[in-house]
Amino acid sequence: MNNSFPRLIDGMCATLRSEVLTRLDDEFARGQVFGVINLLNTFKLRADWSAGFLIEQIASQRVALDGVAALLGDVPSAPAAGTPAAPAATPVAELLALRDDGNRRIGLWLDWLDRQRASLAPDAVANGEALLRQAMRDELRIELKNAPRPLFAEMSSGSES
Amino acid sequence: MNTLVDDAALAQRIARYLSQQVGHPVEVAAVTRFAVGFSWLTYAVPVTGLRGPDDVQRLILRLGPDYGLFAPYEAAPQVLAMQSLAGTAVPLPRVFWHGEDPSILGAPFMFCELVEGSAVVPWVSANEPSLADDYRRQLGGQFIDALAALHGVDWRQRPIAALSHGITVDNAALLNVEHWERQIARWAMRPYPMAEWGLRWLKAHTPVAPRVAIVHGDYRTGNFLEQGGRITAILDWELVHLGDPHEDLGWASLPMYMGGSGLICRLAEPDWFYRRYGERAGFEVDMASLRYYQALSLLKLAATHMAAARCFEEGRFNDMRMPAMGSQVATCLRQMEKVIESRP
Repeated sequence: MNNSFPRLIDGMCATLRSEVLTRLDDEFARGQVFGVINLLNTFKLRADWSAGFLIEQIASQRVALDGVAALLGDVPSAPAAGTPAAPAATPVAELLALRDDGNRRIGLWLDWLDRQRASLAPDAVANGEALLRQAMRDELRIELKNAPRPLFAEMSSGSES
Repeated sequence: MNTLVDDAALAQRIARYLSQQVGHPVEVAAVTRFAVGFSWLTYAVPVTGLRGPDDVQRLILRLGPDYGLFAPYEAAPQVLAMQSLAGTAVPLPRVFWHGEDPSILGAPFMFCELVEGSAVVPWVSANEPSLADDYRRQLGGQFIDALAALHGVDWRQRPIAALSHGITVDNAALLNVEHWERQIARWAMRPYPMAEWGLRWLKAHTPVAPRVAIVHGDYRTGNFLEQGGRITAILDWELVHLGDPHEDLGWASLPMYMGGSGLICRLAEPDWFYRRYGERAGFEVDMASLRYYQALSLLKLAATHMAAARCFEEGRFNDMRMPAMGSQVATCLRQMEKVIESRP
């Protein structure tokens, strides 16, 4: 694709609003369209092209560029040899797994602090809980910062006021 | 597995079932499914011949599909509640027939009376004008009085007593929290430490209930019908149970149902709501209990959103409102923490 991801999302939302909703009279169907717009707005804030397919494209480029340089790189007028290093990307799934693992560990710590409260120094418990709860709050804050305003009214009524 | 049949086949099955129930043949015309709710499906069913050859009635059929938000479903709890409330000051449809066997209509089901009226939408956009003062106060008064009447029903001598399971004023809150803990364990697709923290807090601060009452479980705008300023029926009894009456107050007073108005369910000023409710119910609303149940309600709502996300993820529903709901877990958990922190 030549367009940026956010621009494509904007275009899809605009088309749904101006070309689909204007021709749709059924209340339930209109609600569904607003549901789709709601999700597209979320994707715009959070998603991007899949790292996986980009890495594949880059790997393919590298095979080609390395290959041609091996064949013709000694020619004086040839473009400079060498290819960009493959990006060290972390797949989104791994990041999600890391986040879930961190949350699991926070839960275990909270549970442990709660059960061991009587045998631990009160200040240590309070400070430990404060750290864990701050991390929990931060997770929610970052989540909400990256979420669009939900369109529940529109999804329920199938119309915008 | 989806055991539901298409609407034409459903109409035939309904005709067969109703004919068996009344002992003579009846005809069922095309059924109409209402585009509401995420859980039980609701149909209008035109039936000819129930009370004689020329008798034409429209019934409401509710089906609990095995792909629904809270599946698997049972019709019994809401039927027991609605039967228990017949003849009380709580306006609601009459229940006629029900069953749990999916071989009959494809899912657990309930037939009830069709009540005239329309629902007041709970979720409104920022530009939506407020409800007219006279209108909302008229509805608000009935909304409060119906809730007080519900909570005043002596359920021990009625069919819903079958759901009591040893509940007392002392353990009502804990039983409720444990129920929602099990639901979160069923529905959450990843760990939510804030939900775990909330559950722990709720278990450690359980209030004593002023009484054990029939709790609607989803008492809010959108779940009653009104016609000409009169509430004609309280609907959607699928989450009914026995518990602390503060639970319905906590749920109804969630900010999600205020539509930015600052009014409980867009209808009533909080002070008026609690005062009038207390007068009608016969006990003063305990503000600490109210806050407790607001926190529990936000956790329940977060759990419901987790269910929606799972339901969509598993492909049981393609309704695009499901993932939109699923995106609201963080909102509910953050508000839950704020409510807990706001206690005096």
